[in-house]
Amino acid sequence: MQFNLLATVVALLTFFGISAIMALSLNLQYGLAGIPNYGLALFVSLGAYTAGMTYTRVLPLLAGREAIYPCGAGLGQALQVRSEIMRTLPVVGWSNFLLTLLIGALVGGIIGYLFSYPALRLKEEWYLALVLLVGSEIVRIIVRGYEPIICAHNGLSGLAQPFRFLGNAQLANSSFAGLVLLIAGLAYWYCERLVRSPYGRLLKAIREDEVVATSLGKSVPRIRGQVMFIGSALAAIAGVLFVVNLGFASANDYAVGLTLDVWVMVVLGGLGNNRGALLGALLITILDRVTAIAAIQLNMLGYDWEFNYVRYILFGLILLAMLRYRPQGILPEPTRTTDAHQLALGTVK
Amino acid sequence: MLEIAHLRKQFEKLLAVDDVSLTVEQGQIVGLIGPNGSGKSTLLNVTAGSLPADGGTVTFDGHVVTNRPANQIFDLGLARSFQDPALFTRMTVLDNMLLPVPRQRGEAPTQAPLHRRWRGEERRAATTAYNLLQQVNLQTHHDRPSADLSGGQMKLVALSRMLMGEPKLLLLDEPTAGVAPALAYTIFERIAELRDAGLTFLIVEHRLEILFAFVDYLYVMHLGKVIASGTPAEIERNAYVREVYFGE
Repeated sequence: MQFNLLATVVALLTFFGISAIMALSLNLQYGLAGIPNYGLALFVSLGAYTAGMTYTRVLPLLAGREAIYPCGAGLGQALQVRSEIMRTLPVVGWSNFLLTLLIGALVGGIIGYLFSYPALRLKEEWYLALVLLVGSEIVRIIVRGYEPIICAHNGLSGLAQPFRFLGNAQLANSSFAGLVLLIAGLAYWYCERLVRSPYGRLLKAIREDEVVATSLGKSVPRIRGQVMFIGSALAAIAGVLFVVNLGFASANDYAVGLTLDVWVMVVLGGLGNNRGALLGALLITILDRVTAIAAIQLNMLGYDWEFNYVRYILFGLILLAMLRYRPQGILPEPTRTTDAHQLALGTVK
Repeated sequence: MLEIAHLRKQFEKLLAVDDVSLTVEQGQIVGLIGPNGSGKSTLLNVTAGSLPADGGTVTFDGHVVTNRPANQIFDLGLARSFQDPALFTRMTVLDNMLLPVPRQRGEAPTQAPLHRRWRGEERRAATTAYNLLQQVNLQTHHDRPSADLSGGQMKLVALSRMLMGEPKLLLLDEPTAGVAPALAYTIFERIAELRDAGLTFLIVEHRLEILFAFVDYLYVMHLGKVIASGTPAEIERNAYVREVYFGE
């Protein structure tokens, strides 16, 4: 069996970074605020679709070229233009990439807020879960049939990562992995600082009992809307990174299965614990990559068995086992939020 | 300070609160008593904004608060407790105490990650909360999950927690329910201390022997209506109240 170890590790780190951002997003929304987001894939896909739009409409304009319609007859020419710009104009490539991250985050955040605005005011939580789940599927089906976004079911290729200009694929991929890990690190920093603050205390209170939280002066719908915005923006950022890493946007990548994968990560790692979210993302990414590599190698050896399905079975078993035997996850949620206890005793300034 | 005028609340065919009017003057402890199902808790819920009213008005400190969201009523200075202590069991006692503190900078998602912006505020609030816990001899429990406390301790923390929100009037729903008599007296002694410090109370309570020793005025409800009002002595002498409440 032959495989490129360095390339495998780089790919694994990249996927881990992207998964970590998605896991942090869900941990913030459900682990801490109690919002059952069963439509996480929708917000990830919004980042991907944003990349589809900016790479085909904005990137050529930034490079002083004409924006060619990327589907149908112009597909080949548009792809060529995109590839050439990303290879030869790094400033343009980077500008477009950063713009995509920003717009993607805003689109994801705003849609997240708007989508859930009516649902957050419903009394039953499962209504919200259902709205998000169904909404996610509806958008995916629409995009799969509506050409202008990512060429419908054909998908859109040539969405290169910003280090493409380096020429050397290994160097470019390694550099991108570093960037993804940096962004994931920043996301972790933000989420952790948020959680270990009065805002984190507020989220936990609303999660446990929104009636009591309201009676203590807290506007629950407003705060839940904020969390949906922040979490969805993070998920959309992950979506941008996912699609430029892959180089290809397809609506089929954002089905319910993606949402469930992230749920397994946060349940395994520990709901309400950001480090748990990272740990869960790492373990599931490793499992995912190992089963994917095993599937390829076994097929190359002539085995007819579809090893990929083992992955789904394993994830399902992990979820069931954790919920049954250790629902708090590997790393349980800490009881304290801020260091108010030390502040009160004067043991810390 | 609190004026309830002709308040109505209906649940399908049940008229739970039927044209109720009552007044709570500043600095008073006013009791609200009545048999089970007389509408006392519903009255409290409507007053505090947890349930919408079907008629009438609630005026608090000069503001008409009828049908306003509960969080806005809290911000005006009207705080309420629940029959169960309603602490957040997965948080420490001190974190429970810090939640109602108003206008916390650290509760804005843009400021929360910048710890220097709210640390000073948090220190002051934590010190105040710790002192309040000391007043009820629970300071050593500040770091424990609130689920570890006894029922009576939870009631004391719940009462202390309300004070962190800088209230002017407290609506208490059976503050001594499920609590041993000695601790029940402690709770009411604490209420009296707070009244002397300037707070106002409207208290729903079934333990009349304790309540009568502390209240300034009483209202009696039965089948959704106020059937009597007066000082504890007047209520004790009221034959209709004795018939309705004690079956005498």
